Amino acid sequence: MIQESIMGELDLLQNNYMKFTKGAQILIEPPDFSVGTTPHNVVYSEDKMQLLHYKPTVEKTCPVPVLVVYALVNRYYILDLQPDKSVIKNLLDQGFDVYAIDWGYPTGTDRYLTIDDYVNGYINNAVDYIRKKSRLDSITLMGVCQGGTFSLMFTALHPEKVKNLITFVAPLDFDTDKALLNIWAKKLDVDKIVDYYGIVPGDFLNMGFLLLDPFRLLIDKYIGFLERMDDKRTVENFLRMEKWIFDSPGQAGETFRQFIKDCYQKNLLVKNRMVIGGKRIDLTKISMPLLNVMAEFDHLVPNDASHPITDAVSSADKKTLVFPTGHIGMFVGSKSQNEVCPKIADWLKPRSMIEETGNANHIKQKEIKKINRKSKETNK
Amino acid sequence: MDNARFASTQDFFNMYLKTCDASFGKLAELPAMGPARERSEKMMRGFSLFFNLYETWMDSVSDFQKLSMEAMNRMQEKAADMEGEISPEQSRELYNIWIETYSDTFKEFLRSGHFASDSGKFMSSFIEAQKYNQEMLEESFLKPMNLPTKTEIDELNKELYSLNKKVKELTCKVNELSGNM
Repeated sequence: MIQESIMGELDLLQNNYMKFTKGAQILIEPPDFSVGTTPHNVVYSEDKMQLLHYKPTVEKTCPVPVLVVYALVNRYYILDLQPDKSVIKNLLDQGFDVYAIDWGYPTGTDRYLTIDDYVNGYINNAVDYIRKKSRLDSITLMGVCQGGTFSLMFTALHPEKVKNLITFVAPLDFDTDKALLNIWAKKLDVDKIVDYYGIVPGDFLNMGFLLLDPFRLLIDKYIGFLERMDDKRTVENFLRMEKWIFDSPGQAGETFRQFIKDCYQKNLLVKNRMVIGGKRIDLTKISMPLLNVMAEFDHLVPNDASHPITDAVSSADKKTLVFPTGHIGMFVGSKSQNEVCPKIADWLKPRSMIEETGNANHIKQKEIKKINRKSKETNK
Repeated sequence: MDNARFASTQDFFNMYLKTCDASFGKLAELPAMGPARERSEKMMRGFSLFFNLYETWMDSVSDFQKLSMEAMNRMQEKAADMEGEISPEQSRELYNIWIETYSDTFKEFLRSGHFASDSGKFMSSFIEAQKYNQEMLEESFLKPMNLPTKTEIDELNKELYSLNKKVKELTCKVNELSGNM
């Protein structure tokens, strides 16, 4: 009896050891897998930034192009992780013309880039390129996470260039203690960090993200992986996520400094007191249709940080959508494909139409004529 | 671990430095000792920085040790029912309790102002020490060997950034004037 029990436990031990070595082997020498597979062309580039234009998967039924602006932290391809988990492919399948910004990996020469360079430089130039190419006055801007905050800044400064604004898990009000990042950032001596590093290392930020829940992110996740690694698909999905999590570009120092100080520490943006490039950002200048999308269980960008977007703008046509998922679940979870993307598309489709005979200029001309006619009638 | 121990060690070290300065240190004030004195002062500053780093590091270690003890106590309370021999199925249950308890306890601590403040101090002293290392490396090796230092490269990067910005502004103006935009 005792012998059987010992043999049983030894078998279990051996089995676990085999699993562990196999898992370690997969992580050390991962099989080939790809991310960001939706076909695209690089249509514009400036310094490290590249503007990607995705090839349509169906006939374009919504002519107003959508520009996706992702955060500087981690990489944009979380929105296109794999064909069946791709926000970008989902939008293409619904007939949208999709562009995305890839910020690249900043190096020493980028350490002095400011938020002004990103917002009034790179984003502005990408938007101008798309406007010129599509012959439209304005396009749809979809800002994701920190990219959403940048999109708010851009739209407030250049409202004439944005037809619709979608903020996707984007923070605006940083004065909250619902997320650890908000608590930590308040005590961060950002000057010392930026002055020493120049380009703030991606690993430094990654360490912060892992500390959000160290036991689950550094142990439990891998135990779970060992238990599910017999399925090839599960392994590939896991490796894709791992690649994305640890693919952390450094941060341009001056931008990081300003973002931490003005947003996280002084919370200036929501108070309409933040200044970039010598211009104050007044969010009430945002009057176009706005869709504010957030995740109910977001541990990085809590709802308290995103909800105020809807109130801060002066748009008459505005809507808030909250989905019962987490931050990452908004990009790659099953809800992302089945609920989030379709609802965004439902909202955006009727707002992405232009008149049959022309472009937005034509619409503008018609509106102007209408206003003139009304004023003549009033004068009479 | 008692944090007061590190503070008293730091006090002792500072007292030692003051005594040195007041006695043997006077020798270093002789004009002939000029460059050597400067180096010696820098090295002393280095000691102080590394001491700060050690102190803040030990504060963090001490915090995490206390936290681990707290998590272990909480886990013991939760796993009190699981007495006797543990089957493989129960091992899984035990693991779940362990992960859940430790994760919750750590998250609770990481959310506290105490952690934010302590980690901020540690980060600060870490960077101070790194900066000192960099300065010493530049002065002791890179400059004498006529190799470019990080400070010089940063200056070049700044210059490059300004030039790049100027070029972009001028290109934009040229495009506007030529009606391309």
